[in-house]
Amino acid sequence: MAAYVKFWGTRGSIPTPASWTRVYGGNTPCVEVRFDDTIFICDAGSGIRELGKDLMARNPPPKELHLLITHTHWDHIQGFPFFAPVYADATRIHVYGRQANDDLTYRLLSGQMSSSYFPVSFKELGASVVADHLNDGQKEIGGVRVRSFPLNHTGGCLGYCFEKEGRKIVYATDNELEIQADDLFPDLDNSGPLRRAPEELAEMAREADLLIIDAQYDEREYMTRRKWGHSCCFSATDLAIQAKVKNLALFHHDPESTDRAIDEMVQACRKRAARHGAVLTISGAREGVEFKF
Amino acid sequence: MTEFDSTSIGPDKPLRRGRESRRHSLEQIEGAGAPCQILLEAGENIMGREADARVHLGSKRASRHHAILRLRETDCVLFDNDSHNGIFLNGVRIHSAVLRDGDVIQAADCTFIYYEG
Repeated sequence: MAAYVKFWGTRGSIPTPASWTRVYGGNTPCVEVRFDDTIFICDAGSGIRELGKDLMARNPPPKELHLLITHTHWDHIQGFPFFAPVYADATRIHVYGRQANDDLTYRLLSGQMSSSYFPVSFKELGASVVADHLNDGQKEIGGVRVRSFPLNHTGGCLGYCFEKEGRKIVYATDNELEIQADDLFPDLDNSGPLRRAPEELAEMAREADLLIIDAQYDEREYMTRRKWGHSCCFSATDLAIQAKVKNLALFHHDPESTDRAIDEMVQACRKRAARHGAVLTISGAREGVEFKF
Repeated sequence: MTEFDSTSIGPDKPLRRGRESRRHSLEQIEGAGAPCQILLEAGENIMGREADARVHLGSKRASRHHAILRLRETDCVLFDNDSHNGIFLNGVRIHSAVLRDGDVIQAADCTFIYYEG
């Protein structure tokens, strides 16, 4: 058994096609997490369009997909009407709420396809799109243990943890790791101690093979964007170190971040991890990159 | 003032022209055989220890068919071909990746820089 994770959209807030976003990509969040034949799709940002094309080109195209939306801000749902499998008769797509009768995500996904917004209505879709749910935040799907957990974001947000046969993938975007009273901030010369990570989040991420985490800002940017619902990369790194994560992917890149700026954030975070003696591989989440665990 | 001649951009003329003089390539900077430049061909380019590999890895740590570089119409994708020691993109082990100009690829003891065509 192997777990595969592929990034189809890594940008936050709004699609950002530009020469200076060509490396990390300009599509909004969409991550494919696959355990053998069981395919989970985390978020339906604009990156899901390319994923849809890829899925339809697979031999055979998958008949069942599991869509887990972190929250319904535009950048996490806007790609859904352009997701090719929703037009394929043979496909069954499960859209999950956190618990029974929680069909908010399903309703908002379908709502953005009302005629004022989009020419094809939800009822005309070929695929069977069904409102499904976790059971109080967890469920076994295709032999994979899936858990949701709350994140700190304007209007609320869920992270997801996937586990099977010793592999663990954690997706935690749109989350603000707030600076605590005894934290050193800003740590502009990258010399300070670790910031204390929220215990529940650190426990969820503990010893994950891969933690995909919101790290929208560098230290200087975060000085003017506190309480915006996103984290700075040093706090994200400190969480990963304390949770003894094996691989960390900095995610939800700011629309203003150039490829070079993200490279610099990754380098700074690698230095920070090395300074704290952590065995942790850090990368910037990049469209078109796939990991295998 | 010179008038604009619309026939110069008529339907039989291409709007833009692809650059044919530059091809996707790898520059090997470390390992047996370095330094050298390898031009990639359309379709599959095998990277490995075997003699038929277009990108030869002169290392016992390399698998015979270690990785595949698939040059498509729009880009080049690198796949680990279930190699024993893996393939690294900019220092991180990956399973596959769409390559971008300047990417650093490490396989066994060999290091390459990828240049887009």
